[in-house]
Amino acid sequence: MTSTPHPDELTAQRLAGLARGPVGGKDPDPVTGDGTLIDTPGVRAPLVLNDRSFGEITNIICGYTENPVPRWWYAAAAVTAGLAAMMTVFILYLIITGIGTWGLTNQVDWAWDITNFVFWIGIGHAGTLISAILCLLKQKWRTAVNRSAEAMTIFAVICAATFPGIHIGRQWMAWFLPPLPNANAIWPNFRSPLLWDVFAISTYGTVSLLFWYMGMIPDVATLRDRADRRLRLNPQSGGPLLPFLPIPVDLIRAKVYGFLSLGWRFSGRHWHRYEAAYLILAGISTPLVLSVHSIVSMDFATSILPGWHTTIFPPYFVAGAIFGGFAMVLLLLIPARELYPHMKDFITLRHLENMAKILTLTGLMVGFAYSMEFFIAYYGGNEFELYAFKNRATGPYWWAYWTMIGCNVLSPQVFWNKAMRTSPFVIFIVSILVTIGMWFERFVIIVTSLHRAFLPGEWHMFSPTAVDICIFVGSLGVFTHLFLLFMRFLPMFAMAELKAVLPIASPHHGPGHGSGGHQHGGGH
Amino acid sequence: MTTAPVHRPQLAADNITLAKGAGRGVGMALIVVGLLAALAVLGMGLSGAAGVTKKHALAVYHTGAMGVLAMALGGLFFTMVFHLTNAGWSATIRRQCENLASFLPFAWLLVLPALVIEIANHGLLFAWLNPAYYHDHALQVKSAFFYLPNHIVDHDTHKVATEPVLPVFFLARALVYGVVWTLLSRRLCALSRAQDASPSVELAAKARFTSSWGMLLFALTTAFASFDWLMSVDFKFFSTMWPVWYFSGAAFSAMALLVLVFARLKAVGKLEGVVTSEHFHDKGKILFSFTVFWAYISFSQYFLIWYGNIPEETAYYYFRTFEGSPWRTLGITLMIGHFIAPFLIVLFRPVKKSPLALGLVALWCLGMHFADIYFVLRPMVDAGTGLPPHIMGHLWVDLAAIVGLFAVLVGFLIVKIPGLSLVAHNDPWIDESLEHRNYV
Repeated sequence: MTSTPHPDELTAQRLAGLARGPVGGKDPDPVTGDGTLIDTPGVRAPLVLNDRSFGEITNIICGYTENPVPRWWYAAAAVTAGLAAMMTVFILYLIITGIGTWGLTNQVDWAWDITNFVFWIGIGHAGTLISAILCLLKQKWRTAVNRSAEAMTIFAVICAATFPGIHIGRQWMAWFLPPLPNANAIWPNFRSPLLWDVFAISTYGTVSLLFWYMGMIPDVATLRDRADRRLRLNPQSGGPLLPFLPIPVDLIRAKVYGFLSLGWRFSGRHWHRYEAAYLILAGISTPLVLSVHSIVSMDFATSILPGWHTTIFPPYFVAGAIFGGFAMVLLLLIPARELYPHMKDFITLRHLENMAKILTLTGLMVGFAYSMEFFIAYYGGNEFELYAFKNRATGPYWWAYWTMIGCNVLSPQVFWNKAMRTSPFVIFIVSILVTIGMWFERFVIIVTSLHRAFLPGEWHMFSPTAVDICIFVGSLGVFTHLFLLFMRFLPMFAMAELKAVLPIASPHHGPGHGSGGHQHGGGH
Repeated sequence: MTTAPVHRPQLAADNITLAKGAGRGVGMALIVVGLLAALAVLGMGLSGAAGVTKKHALAVYHTGAMGVLAMALGGLFFTMVFHLTNAGWSATIRRQCENLASFLPFAWLLVLPALVIEIANHGLLFAWLNPAYYHDHALQVKSAFFYLPNHIVDHDTHKVATEPVLPVFFLARALVYGVVWTLLSRRLCALSRAQDASPSVELAAKARFTSSWGMLLFALTTAFASFDWLMSVDFKFFSTMWPVWYFSGAAFSAMALLVLVFARLKAVGKLEGVVTSEHFHDKGKILFSFTVFWAYISFSQYFLIWYGNIPEETAYYYFRTFEGSPWRTLGITLMIGHFIAPFLIVLFRPVKKSPLALGLVALWCLGMHFADIYFVLRPMVDAGTGLPPHIMGHLWVDLAAIVGLFAVLVGFLIVKIPGLSLVAHNDPWIDESLEHRNYV
């Protein structure tokens, strides 16, 4: 023990490039897992493992975009690009032929398309929650997941916006969606929640994009500077872009990242403005998390259709959106941390456990809403309302209803057990179930209310066509492919924020300050 | 009582304790006077003295009781949230949340007289208790929720009962709420008190575990209490948002009251360096966020009912907001006073950081909280009379009951607070809370 250097001395050597950092891969401790699962009140788990120094964090994270492309990435990108191409083909077919190619009927005139729309727009909410609300709540663990969750938000909004766009049937009239002055003096119906959706989602998309991009500027500037430095050492750095195109890859990196980083020079003034803007955007995004899905819920709740008209819809939809969104974040990050080197140092078991707890909480919230709906359907004394709910649970779509209950309310309950909520495998399985369950929730709300119209002569079952299925599966491909591109070309972690939550970033760090379990400083 | 470790001199005994029995006289006087005032209102109503009607007396008493119940529930909610989230900053303010939560059994007891009088008088405000309404289809379909195992319609003969039926299920639920709230609040307070004597992380872990299942019970009991004791006052009305609305008011008013408690403790020179302007900043943020949350919930409920325009739902709001209704002004006052004004004022950082400024806003917020519940109950005095809604005068009766019951809560806190250390000084997160800074 006496020969072991002081940890600070070791850090100093590593910062100076005189010593190598740890490689990682310690045997998991039965109690604390990778060391982050400590549950003793008063002790904060480390947020970054293996005593990573600032330089190591930069090298590891920039390495994800600078190192040669891993083989699995090509395979995944090929599959998802194929699915995305399939979606394009089927959308073309849909536009050419008409939306009769979907399984819509005269009563069930909203089905998979709107289900998919609500499903995707909900997925995005986890990103905004992590980047905005968890920022305002000073949850430092968010720094490891916020960037990828925000990226996911953008991609989910892209997928979501596709569905109402193709549902209008006459795509050449799509410009009628925004209220533009036109020669026929035709205006959209301002009293319709569908129009509010246009505003809500375009605002949401814009603010999310700004938030994501602004947060990325310092990290993109780091990528730019690293490419630039390599170019100075070797003008051919990175090799030719393509065998017949002898432009060095690092030159392209320096130019593109240079353009994207908007002249960021890491000056104190830049950081000061950055922090102020970040806080303001977090403040603006917070009501957006609530408003967007509230307005989506009003697409249904402002109608007087049994099963749709219920006042708890706005907060219930928001809770459900966050629930489904966190499941998707976990679905993306659990494989990523296995596939990328050293990513487990940043996305620790504690991060997964925290997100599993949020899944349990939001799952219970939607369960609460389901039971309130059922209770009020009984208490309200409207026989059609009660029928709509009985029909959900016992009618021809009972399997969809019980899939929803099983996946959304029951499956996250396994997380009451600590071993379950800290096992990446179990979390992954539950996340798949939750994603399925949240898709079915929207399906249940939309289709079970529509398939039993007021006149029994109008009762229809809905069955999806190949076009329905292929467009939805294709949208999964678009989403995943965009995420793969993001992982390849943009910084997957907010490097500056990660560094700020390290113990060595604390002004109290070091001998004489009693660097205890708690950390402070950093953040915003 | 406590010895301050060298590195945290703020926790010296004289900074975090009040003298035993300090303010006891004032506290007891408030409890007695408040209780007498509220009971006098009930007594006047029941005897018809000074022209106060039974329904009027009951409506204002019930407003006060449900208002203070909400605050106590909010105290329990914050206690559990702070445990559940491993919150560090809040370690120095949690003790007062617990003190507020420990009022829960008494708040429950304060609601009881209203329920007993309702049942004994066969429904004054709660028309569903009145046999005259038993023939109403809207009541018959939900009667099981109130009356099981009794029935207001005979199962075999389909004859509607003419005599009052005892609402057994309704009473059984009331009992369950009381038991759950008492057990939860007492357990969490006991764990915290035990920690004052012996620092132990296990006690904190136990409190955290209690909070996990406690939160589930809290959600269900609060929800159904809000249905039973507020929404059912108009038995034809129903809204799935109702429990969320009551909860938003509970968290909002509890935080307002906590701000006042701490502003007072700071004013008497305690908690120097323990509860700082940084903590006030965060309490201000919570107050702000629940102002917005209340507005979001109240607006969504109103808006969806207005937009849907189904008669059985809109009747509730129409009665309160039609042109010429005296309650319309109150509704608009709530919009401005419960949301817009606090929103615009608490938005500013210096307000949140100043105990005096935030305390003044908090006082206003408490008034608005009672007004919010008043808006539910008070118009029901005219419901079913065939008369247009009107304010019948005797505003002093309303004030006596509401302020009286609030005085009981304040008196309880004044008596309760000096009994324990002002902060949970052995909390494992105490260091983090003492060093809490919002922006560094």
